[in-house]
Amino acid sequence: MARKISRRAFVKGAAASAGLFTIVPPHVLGGPRHVPPSETLGGALIGCGGRGPNTYKEMCKDHKVELLAECDVKFGDKADNKRFYTDFRRVLERKDIDLIAIGTPPHWHALISIAAAEAGKDVLCEKPMTRFIAEGRAVVEAFRRYKRIFQIGTFGRFGSSKDKKSLETHKIMRSGLLAPNPGVFIKKGGLKVKEWSGRVNAAPQTPPAALDWNMYIGPSPMKPYVRPRHGGTHRGYWDYEGGGLADMAQHTLDPYQWTYGKDDTSPVEIEAMAAPAHPECVGMWGWVEMKYADGFTLVLESGEWGPMYDRKASKGVSLADLDEGQRKKLDAMPDPEPLLTFAEAVKLRRPAGGNPEAAHRCATLLHLANIAIRTGRKIRYDPVKEEILGDELANRLVNPPMRAPWHL
Amino acid sequence: MRQDEKLAEILAPIPPLDKDGTLTGPAWEDAIKVFDAVLEGGKDRVAALAGMVQEPDDGRDYKARYALHGLAQYLGRPGKEAPRAVYCEALAGQLGGEIAKGAKGFLARQLQVIGGRECAAALGKLLGDAELHEYAAQALLAIRAGAAEEFRRALPGLKGAARLTAVQALGVLRDAESVEALRQAAGEEDADLRVVAAWALANIGDAASVDAVLRAGDAEPGWARIKATSACLLLGERLAAAGKKPEAARVYRHLKETRKDDSEGYVRALAEEALAALGG
Repeated sequence: MARKISRRAFVKGAAASAGLFTIVPPHVLGGPRHVPPSETLGGALIGCGGRGPNTYKEMCKDHKVELLAECDVKFGDKADNKRFYTDFRRVLERKDIDLIAIGTPPHWHALISIAAAEAGKDVLCEKPMTRFIAEGRAVVEAFRRYKRIFQIGTFGRFGSSKDKKSLETHKIMRSGLLAPNPGVFIKKGGLKVKEWSGRVNAAPQTPPAALDWNMYIGPSPMKPYVRPRHGGTHRGYWDYEGGGLADMAQHTLDPYQWTYGKDDTSPVEIEAMAAPAHPECVGMWGWVEMKYADGFTLVLESGEWGPMYDRKASKGVSLADLDEGQRKKLDAMPDPEPLLTFAEAVKLRRPAGGNPEAAHRCATLLHLANIAIRTGRKIRYDPVKEEILGDELANRLVNPPMRAPWHL
Repeated sequence: MRQDEKLAEILAPIPPLDKDGTLTGPAWEDAIKVFDAVLEGGKDRVAALAGMVQEPDDGRDYKARYALHGLAQYLGRPGKEAPRAVYCEALAGQLGGEIAKGAKGFLARQLQVIGGRECAAALGKLLGDAELHEYAAQALLAIRAGAAEEFRRALPGLKGAARLTAVQALGVLRDAESVEALRQAAGEEDADLRVVAAWALANIGDAASVDAVLRAGDAEPGWARIKATSACLLLGERLAAAGKKPEAARVYRHLKETRKDDSEGYVRALAEEALAALGG
């Protein structure tokens, strides 16, 4: 007979690893239609500016969450370590908090996500998931080790997974019937390249009194306070994000990554048309071409710098690419499992639609693109070892060192 | 023509900043002409270019910084080994000179991009510098070759943030020769240092450090306990992967027996699962 446990205890995980999931009836778990009125989860928002409040709202969709803590490095004038905090570590120490929404700049996303998992919390994290590739693998491993739920804060893939045409493309791509794969997807514009270029001539200033600059910098190299490095315009600096490409590409590409069935792999060849990069500030680029091992090609074209991309034309993948025998085989294959929302994933203790592996693979796209832009070299990538091949110097950008005491 | 005048002439084709202070750089083929012209002047010209970097970084010297970084990326191309060595020697030489600390930090960051073993000693000398130790450590960690020796050599003389940085670096490098020094650090007063040292020992997977890591894991509830518990789990995984099952089981048994509070039930459950996987 199943032992009765509260939904909150279940979320905390004591039951999950005891193997109770298969025998506890849904109403005991507080399934989507059976949430006991008393079962409210404790929530916290870390990084309260910009997208932060919306990220928190997304985290609260479809389940009951009480906001217990708000944390931001700029809360020096109101932090009481009860409701308002400047140090996320104090938030993660709280036993009454179950869910963490992360809305900080991306150089903090991975470390706070991992620490939250270590503290037994589930996480909804704003995009982009990471600042560099190795962070993503560390997040995947942490959430696997601690059996916590992670959802990236972009949701286009949920719509794609219900769209008939996208579903058909997904099945064809995952079937392995296309070899070589003729598909070419070109994303034109919308990547805010000039908008999120960094300011080269901003002079150092004294940080505002309420801002903990050391905590803001965190794992990134220490630099003097320069106003554009903080507060949205941080996107223009390599230390914190990676320009409009890092800001927008996970949002833009995530639905297509699902549609084209690439949630568990990465491109093997990446080439960019860009100006030589500035050491600190993200600058201009024209296009990036990324080829997968099966031949599928993904292209980002900024439309904001240099010559247009003219190597290949856009080419969708459809049933017309298959012969009759292949179509029959495809018909016999099952449809993919529906993607779980964050709330469903938290309740069922199963991976969310925007799970760590999928989110990491999508973030890897923008990081590989930025590495090709920064080095000015064509790079070859091993999607299994997650290393750049034959270019030790480019590989240094896969896992740059962090400032102590922060590490992966 | 004087070196500074020559460099001004060479850097002239780099475009001016845009009105908003951003830089719309040149195409690579145009930039390469600038880089090759710098390299034609050999080590002295590269050193003179490095000497143009000023403090603070407010854009006055953007052409010099842009050219130095562009050179670092350019010299990463195959076939550029000889000029790469010249570039690295010139920058490493400046690290011991009289230029501003901010400029040295910038040069260390370029060596993080392109430097090799030949730069390790010059960077190692900065590991005790209050302003520069982080840049030096990050460059050494990127270079890897020769890095562990530098951290090992410097560690006994380091205090505060510099000591923390070196301890963490030795953990990142998984330097088995440092376990004794790391065990000492795991027992020191600084809470950050204790936690980082425990993680470093766990990451190295040192079987003789089980007691030190478990002691750190038994910290009072709070951040240190969360992170040190994570180090215990990492050590358990490393030991199990190395076939040291009794030592790994000891780690998990300890976690199972000490994580009694409901709020740590997930850790207890993970430990029980790991013990089962080890066969007891």
